[in-house]
Amino acid sequence: MDTVSMRKEHNIPGESAVMDKQLADKPLEGIVENLRECDVRESKKVHQYETIGKPFTDNARISARDVNVYYGDKQAIIDASLDIGSNEVLAMIGPSGCGKSTFLRCINRMNDIIPICRVEGSITLDGEDIYGSDMDTVLLRARVGMVFQKPNPFPKSIYENVAYGPRIHGLAHNKAEMDDIVEKSLRRASLFDEVKDQLDKPGTGLSGGQQQRLCIARAIAVSPEVILMDEPCSALDPIATARIEELIDELKEKYTIAIVTHSMQQAARVSQRTAYFHLGKIIEVGDTREIFTTPQHELTENYITGRFG
Amino acid sequence: MENLHIDQHISRRYNEELEDLRNKVMIMGGMVEKQCKNALKALIKGDSSLAESVATSDYRINSLEVEIDAECTEILARRQPAASDLRMILTVIKTITDLERIGDEAEKIGRFALKLANSHEPQSYYSDLHHLGTHVIEMLHDSLDAFARMDVDSAVKVAGRDPEIDLEFEALTRMLITHMMEDPREVKNVLRLNWCARSLERIGDHSSNVCEYVIYLVKGHDVRHISLEDIQDTYSKNK
Repeated sequence: MDTVSMRKEHNIPGESAVMDKQLADKPLEGIVENLRECDVRESKKVHQYETIGKPFTDNARISARDVNVYYGDKQAIIDASLDIGSNEVLAMIGPSGCGKSTFLRCINRMNDIIPICRVEGSITLDGEDIYGSDMDTVLLRARVGMVFQKPNPFPKSIYENVAYGPRIHGLAHNKAEMDDIVEKSLRRASLFDEVKDQLDKPGTGLSGGQQQRLCIARAIAVSPEVILMDEPCSALDPIATARIEELIDELKEKYTIAIVTHSMQQAARVSQRTAYFHLGKIIEVGDTREIFTTPQHELTENYITGRFG
Repeated sequence: MENLHIDQHISRRYNEELEDLRNKVMIMGGMVEKQCKNALKALIKGDSSLAESVATSDYRINSLEVEIDAECTEILARRQPAASDLRMILTVIKTITDLERIGDEAEKIGRFALKLANSHEPQSYYSDLHHLGTHVIEMLHDSLDAFARMDVDSAVKVAGRDPEIDLEFEALTRMLITHMMEDPREVKNVLRLNWCARSLERIGDHSSNVCEYVIYLVKGHDVRHISLEDIQDTYSKNK
């Protein structure tokens, strides 16, 4: 992720003006009234809006409290508080520029590489402060792995793609152990049978769906606790998507997963909990079952049913 | 959530599909209501030609049911509706099943009315039957109205009338039994009348179901098999 594209994503004056106009046309209650003021992120009242539903869980692996994120003087996330429970899949949905990807990237400090980005509040992983001064980001990113929108295997062999992480973290002591890690990771990503005879071939020669599963194998090779996925299927066909979704379901037995997706059906299929983001606020969090049948907030309802609210 | 805004999708085609669906349910409701009215009229007046037309025109309601079901299937497959849209589709699917059954009951009344028309002698209990029928048709009308307006408050009120209808049916049955005992030669015809009363009572039950679907559609809570008192406590604005 380069700085320019990040800045672009969160700095779209045209889009927010259109939204404000739509909101002005149709007065809604609560947050929306506040959002009608020309810039949401500068409005004081929007800070008072409390996320509805169940943002907290008893078995939280990741806990975010009062997180505010700024890109320069633009606020991208406003007072976000949310738990991600152990062995659950949390889906984050919302329109473009709502802050869901920003929030995801905060969890393994991917935003550190953006100079103008500032994160306030606390995010903890098993009670440890992710933004603490003693936190090593390299180790953090091993514990909190990430899979991106576009499959991005290293320009190396399939084997090396998976072995790279374990090697730099010193997880294997000899060739046999490394072979074992590579095979297990590829198996867990349900890719091994397809590539076992071509492990020395370049990873970039695989199909899109296979490449994405290779990236998942690479992420799980270093035994992470949490896997973050930023639209992992947006570049894949329905069959490859179904494979990845099946995989996500299996992976949740061992890992905690947070997924950002623009496909509502995908969020409904793979997740146990869903968080709806809107203009930097977490509007509603709840069981996926409830969010997709009886959402509480009108903004959530409008978004998942494809209405302009 | 109170207002369902089915006309506010980004896809205009989707708006049209949902609107069209809703209109078709209303048309079906209108047809069913007309059938019920005619059935009752034929029964009370002993009008055999009207009775025959009721007994033979149920097929139009049936084919509309099939058509609406097909449209719902298509919307489910193509649009993958969620939240209120999903509840709308489910409500429509269930509502038309009940409407179709009401149509069947009207058809039954029509057939009995045809048989009774030949041996028609206005009796005192006809006025009670007429009263029950009017009451039931009014209830059907109001439940369709609650559906059209998606009005929870009136849905609760209409569903609340079902016990009165049950009581009326009980009373009428008791009276018909008395008649049968008084005049055993009339047993066959009086039994037929009792079947008609039974059909009217069932129409009341189906109307009450439609009201429950309206509450589900608007509030998102399934209120079937919940006591009327609980429903009224939870959803009625002025108890």
